[in-house]
Amino acid sequence: MAHARISMYLPPDINPTKAAIAYGCRALPKLNEELNSEDLLTRQKALMALCDLMHDPEYVYEAINLGCLESLKSLLKDSDDLVRIKTTEVLYIMATHNVGRNGFLENNVILALSFLMNDPYSLCRQNLHQAFKHLAELPSGAHGIVDSGLISPLVRKLQREEENIQELILDTLASCLWEDATEALSSGAVPFLKQKLVSDNKDIRSKAARALIAISIPLEGKNQVWKHDVIPILVHLLKDKDGEVQANAAGALMYATVTTEGKYAALEAEAIYPLLQLLSSPLIKVRLNATKALTMLAEAPEGRKFLQVHVSTFHELESDQNEAVRRAAHIAIQVIEWKP
Amino acid sequence: MTSTLTDRTSRAMGTYTYTSRPRVLPCQRRRYRDNLLQPEEEPMRYGNIMYDRRVIRGNTYALHTGSLLGQPDPLELQKEQAAKRRALARKRAQEQLRPRTPEPVEGRKHVDVQTELYLEEIADRIIEVDMECQTDAFLDRPPTPLFIPAKTGRDVATQILEGELFDFDLEVKPMLEVLVGKTIEQALLEVMEEEELANLRASQYAYEEIRNVELAEVQRLEEQERRHREEKERRKKQQWEIVNKHNETAQKISARAFAQRYLADLLPSVFSSLRDSGYFYDPIERDIEIGFLPWLMNEVEKTMEYSMVGRTVLDLLIREVVEKRLNNYEQKENRDPSLRSEGPNGPGAMGQTLGGYFNLSQTQRPLSDRDYLQRTQYDTRSSSQERRFMEERELLGQDEDTEMRRTLGKTDPAA
Repeated sequence: MAHARISMYLPPDINPTKAAIAYGCRALPKLNEELNSEDLLTRQKALMALCDLMHDPEYVYEAINLGCLESLKSLLKDSDDLVRIKTTEVLYIMATHNVGRNGFLENNVILALSFLMNDPYSLCRQNLHQAFKHLAELPSGAHGIVDSGLISPLVRKLQREEENIQELILDTLASCLWEDATEALSSGAVPFLKQKLVSDNKDIRSKAARALIAISIPLEGKNQVWKHDVIPILVHLLKDKDGEVQANAAGALMYATVTTEGKYAALEAEAIYPLLQLLSSPLIKVRLNATKALTMLAEAPEGRKFLQVHVSTFHELESDQNEAVRRAAHIAIQVIEWKP
Repeated sequence: MTSTLTDRTSRAMGTYTYTSRPRVLPCQRRRYRDNLLQPEEEPMRYGNIMYDRRVIRGNTYALHTGSLLGQPDPLELQKEQAAKRRALARKRAQEQLRPRTPEPVEGRKHVDVQTELYLEEIADRIIEVDMECQTDAFLDRPPTPLFIPAKTGRDVATQILEGELFDFDLEVKPMLEVLVGKTIEQALLEVMEEEELANLRASQYAYEEIRNVELAEVQRLEEQERRHREEKERRKKQQWEIVNKHNETAQKISARAFAQRYLADLLPSVFSSLRDSGYFYDPIERDIEIGFLPWLMNEVEKTMEYSMVGRTVLDLLIREVVEKRLNNYEQKENRDPSLRSEGPNGPGAMGQTLGGYFNLSQTQRPLSDRDYLQRTQYDTRSSSQERRFMEERELLGQDEDTEMRRTLGKTDPAA
């Protein structure tokens, strides 16, 4: 007897792990409904399909309009691990788009995500922190993160998390601290960052230094950096092999030496020599930050005296290709040759 | 099936309505062990209605009413009880009527004895024989044998040869296009996204560099400004303090000069005033004043006192003498009371006599006294202590003194 099936094998384009995406504008509403279904398998398949769709910004916009975020928020509390992992991945992809970020802020997704910081699956946490990192790059996103009081948990998590997640957290923290560093300062983030400065991983070092740059922008931050004796460590990092680490360390020094105490601490730690070495580095950022740091140190009389000998290097920098470097060198020469 | 049958019959003879549709009651007899999972497609066993006890057979005129479901009919109950009672009564009556053997005589007992040929053992124990009977254990119900219907119909076969249905290559193209297209589209999207992100990140990086540098510059300038300002403030304050001090010292100097000038006068005036009030004294003069002069005065006083004493003594003497003379004269007058009238001339006479006596007394006295008196008189007249002298005289009585003076005055021109 003839059967309706031609062969025992499934047709080749059906992916059993993904839900079938409906055609055209019905795709997202249907997926939204499937997200709220009772059946675990349906939810998982819908999530996988949603992951693929979210790379397209138009779909992101539509999804947010439909209120997919509410279903995603409730899925975050799901007991199945794959569901949570996939949900955080969807949210992370959405956070890479600006529409997505705005949607996060409006729908209060940050708080729902923060409950997952203690999730046992590292993939889940990684996606979560990537989502936070992208969100923090937007100023209002950073404000949202700070307002939800996530800075102190993030700082504490720095201690216990794995390395790649630590990098993400450091990035998030750096972006948040650009916006508002007061909460981090009051929760004592400087000692933690100081610890990270001496870690083995160069990425962690460079990102910790970048976070220190952000934290030492307000005056309170500079004072704390000086009090916790971070400046000698930064000077030590100037001799690091990696260019990023050098650049960020020079940047942090640049900010920390604005105060008089910072200047003298840096002079005591003999920061001038390494900084002079860095002036000939290939990276623009390194040269720039080193020039600026030397300018700060030249404000102090001892620094000025010392640097007057080395004015020639600054003159060389004045003919650099980068506009910013030229300007910085010019300012440095002005400061060094200033007579009271 | 039964339901369909009844349906048909009911439809044939008009519809019946039931409060409960007639249905087959399952039989309680089980032949096999109950399966835990009762398969539903097993046919329901039903018993034969002819042998069902629940079905009423026979006459329905005199039916057994009540007492089916445990509600005992009271009538029945009563009848039963009455019957039981009657039976019991009958039994008892019969017991009474039954002939019995007479009672045994005193001291004897009736015993049952067997008198047959063959004795039987009479034992209480009844011979029991155990017999068992067992139904066969329930077996599992054997599975229903697969129903393989008998083959009917005719076999027909067909065969699709290559190229008869469709051309695979042609047909697969659109499908493949869609598949590959969708995959590539998705991939492109993801790659573009990543590229966009990378570009964004690069521009962010560059921006961040510049921003860092600018911000640091701003802060440095702020700091510089602050320091310069503070330095200026400090210098200004220092200057201000210097100027203040300068002023103060100038004022102090001028005040001092003025004070010096003012006080330059002071010293001589002080000295002069002191000198005026007698604080500077010549010690010899002082000594003379303090030591010598009081002593001198004391001596003078003493001498004056001597003279006063002398005078008083003299006065006393005079008085005595005068009194004596008076007495003498009175005695004389008493002897000779005619010539002298005492009344108005009393005092004058007294004065005269006093004067006379005084002269006498004067002549009686030694010369040195008179001289001394005169001297003292001159002294007293000439020195400024005349006043004191007058006071002493008043002690003795003014009259006498004035008299004396008069007389003395009289005598002086005489001397």
